Amino acid sequence: MSMPTILVIDDDVDLVEVIRVTLEGAGYEVIDAQNGTRGLALARDERPDLILLDVMMDTIDEGLRVAHALRDAPETSRLPILMMSAIGERTGFRFDVERDGAFLPVEAFLEKPIHPLRLLDLVNRHLGEGCA
Amino acid sequence: MSDVPNRGEAPAPPVPVTAETETLERPETSTLFVSPLSLRRRADWFIKLRWGVVVGSLLVTVFSWPVTWTPLDLVPIMIALGFLGLLNLAYFARNRRVPPTDLLTETRLVKVQMVGDLILLTVLLNLTGGIENPFHLIYFIHVIIASLLFKGREIYQIAALAIVLFTAEVAGEVFGVLPHHHLTYALDHHHETAYILMTLGVFWLVLLSSAYIGASFMRHNRAIKDELVARQNELIARDKAKTDFFRFVVHEIKNPAITAQSAIETVLLIAADELSDTARDLLERSVRRTSQTIEIVKDLADLTRGIAPSRDAPVRLDLNEFFAALMDDFAEQAAERSIETAARFPAVPVMLRVDEQAIEKIFVNLYSNALRYNREGGKVTVRLFGGPNGVSFSVRDRGIGIRRELQQRIFDEFYRTPEAKAVATIGTGLGLPIVKRLVEQLGGRLTVASRPGEGAIFTVSGLRDA
Repeated sequence: MSMPTILVIDDDVDLVEVIRVTLEGAGYEVIDAQNGTRGLALARDERPDLILLDVMMDTIDEGLRVAHALRDAPETSRLPILMMSAIGERTGFRFDVERDGAFLPVEAFLEKPIHPLRLLDLVNRHLGEGCA
Repeated sequence: MSDVPNRGEAPAPPVPVTAETETLERPETSTLFVSPLSLRRRADWFIKLRWGVVVGSLLVTVFSWPVTWTPLDLVPIMIALGFLGLLNLAYFARNRRVPPTDLLTETRLVKVQMVGDLILLTVLLNLTGGIENPFHLIYFIHVIIASLLFKGREIYQIAALAIVLFTAEVAGEVFGVLPHHHLTYALDHHHETAYILMTLGVFWLVLLSSAYIGASFMRHNRAIKDELVARQNELIARDKAKTDFFRFVVHEIKNPAITAQSAIETVLLIAADELSDTARDLLERSVRRTSQTIEIVKDLADLTRGIAPSRDAPVRLDLNEFFAALMDDFAEQAAERSIETAARFPAVPVMLRVDEQAIEKIFVNLYSNALRYNREGGKVTVRLFGGPNGVSFSVRDRGIGIRRELQQRIFDEFYRTPEAKAVATIGTGLGLPIVKRLVEQLGGRLTVASRPGEGAIFTVSGLRDA
C-alpha cells in the first residue's frame, strides 16, 4: 500500500521545501503548488489524502477561497485541510475552527512557524481520522 | 508568501501621501474654526452672552424707567426682550438636541442669529429714543463678533445690515413713518438734520472702518490657521503612510524568519544523529534567535495595530470566564515551575463590552509576565473587580520585582530591566508598552507597584463598556 500523498499549497518555495523534507522523511509523498489555481487543479487530478494550505498567496484570501472551492467540489469535499499562516492571533486575523467553521471550512488552523514534530503529529492525526 | 494587505495587520504597501486622511476641515471652508464643534462651542458662548443681554436690558429698563425714561412705553420693550429671550431659548434647545455636523450649517445658523439680533436691537432702539440712545454703539459689537466668526464679505454684509437698519430707523423717525420715543434727559435731536447727518455719517464711517480692520486682522489670523490645518493634514497623511510602510516592512521580515526557523528545526529533527554537539548547540541557538526575531516582529505588528484604531466590534464578555480560560492556557507552563495560580474573582459575573483581542492581549501579556518573572514555586494571584468606577483587575506575582526608579521605564519600547534580562534572555521589551497603549485605548489606566525581590502587582483599572 502506497503512503498517503500530501498536497502543499504555499507560495513560499523555501517553506514548501522544508515541509517536503519533514513529510517525506516520515514516508509521505509530497506534491506542491505555488498558487490556489494550480493547487485546485492538483487536488482534483492527483486526489491527495490531505492538503496543507496557506492563507495569503497571490491575494489576501486566496487560501480561504481555495478551501471553499475544495469543499464545494464533490471529488474534494471530504479532503482534510490543514490551513496555515503567519497571520495568527498575535496579529489580529484570528481563526478558530470551532467558532469560524462556516467561514473557515478546514480541519485545523496552524500558526506559523509550525514545529516539524507538531506538523507531523497533526498530519498523522488527521490522516488517521480520515482513514477511520 | 506574497502576503497582501488584510483586515488585521495589513502589510499594506506604502501609500502615497494624500490629503484625504482624518477629520480636519479643509482650509478653504475658512472660518477661524477647524471643526463644527469648535464653532458650536463659540455659538453656545454667544447664547450665554445673549441671556446676559436679555437680563441686563430688563434690569436697566425696569430700574431706570421711573427716573429717566418716564415717557417710554414699557410693554413693547418687554415684548421685544421677551421675544429675544424666546429666540435664544430656541437656539439653546436646538444646540442641545442637534449635534454639530458640518461647519457650513453651523456658520449659517450663527448668521441667522446675528441678523435676528440686529433687527431686535433696532426695534429696541426705536422704542428707547432712536438716535438719542447711546446704546446704538452695540451695532459695533456685532461687527466685531462678525469679524471673529466670518470671512471678509460676510463681515461687510453684517456691517451693511447694521447701517441699513439704523439708518432706516433714524430716517423712519425723521419722516414720521416710525414713532419717536424721547428719552427724558437726552437732547431732542431727532429732527435736526445736520446733527442726524453728522451722526449717521460718523456711524457709517466708524462701522465700515471697524469692519475693514476686523476683516484685515482676521484674514491674517485665518491664513495662519489655514496653513496650520494644511500642515497638520499633511503630517497626518505622512504619519499614516509611514505606519503603513512600517507594517508592510514588519510583515515582509516575518515570513523569511519563519521559513528560516522552520528549516533549522527540520534540520535538527532529521539530522539529529549526524550533528555534533557543537553543531546542534549552534542550530538551537539559531532557533532561539529567529524565534526572538519573530516575537519582536509580531510585537511590532501589535504596536502598529495599537496605533491604528481597532476594526473589531466590541463584544460583551464575562470576564470571570474569559480570564479563567486564558489562565488555563498557561496551566502547563505554571506547573513546570511549580507556580501556584489563584483567581480571586467575584461570585457574580463581571461583564464588560470590550474589544476582545485587546483585552486578551492585555491579560495574556500581564499573566505570562507574572509567570515568566516569578520564582520557582512562586504564586500568581489574579483579582477582578466590577463596580461603579468600571472594571479593574490586577495580576500579582512573587518574582524578581522592579526597582522603583525603573518602574516607569518598563513601559518604554524595547526596555528590559537588568533583572528581567537575567531571568529570561529572550524578550522583546515590547509587551508592557503594548499593554499600556491598549489599556489607554480602552479608556483605562495601567499602574504598577513593586518591591525588588518580592514581586510586582500590575493593575488595570477604569475599564468601561465600549
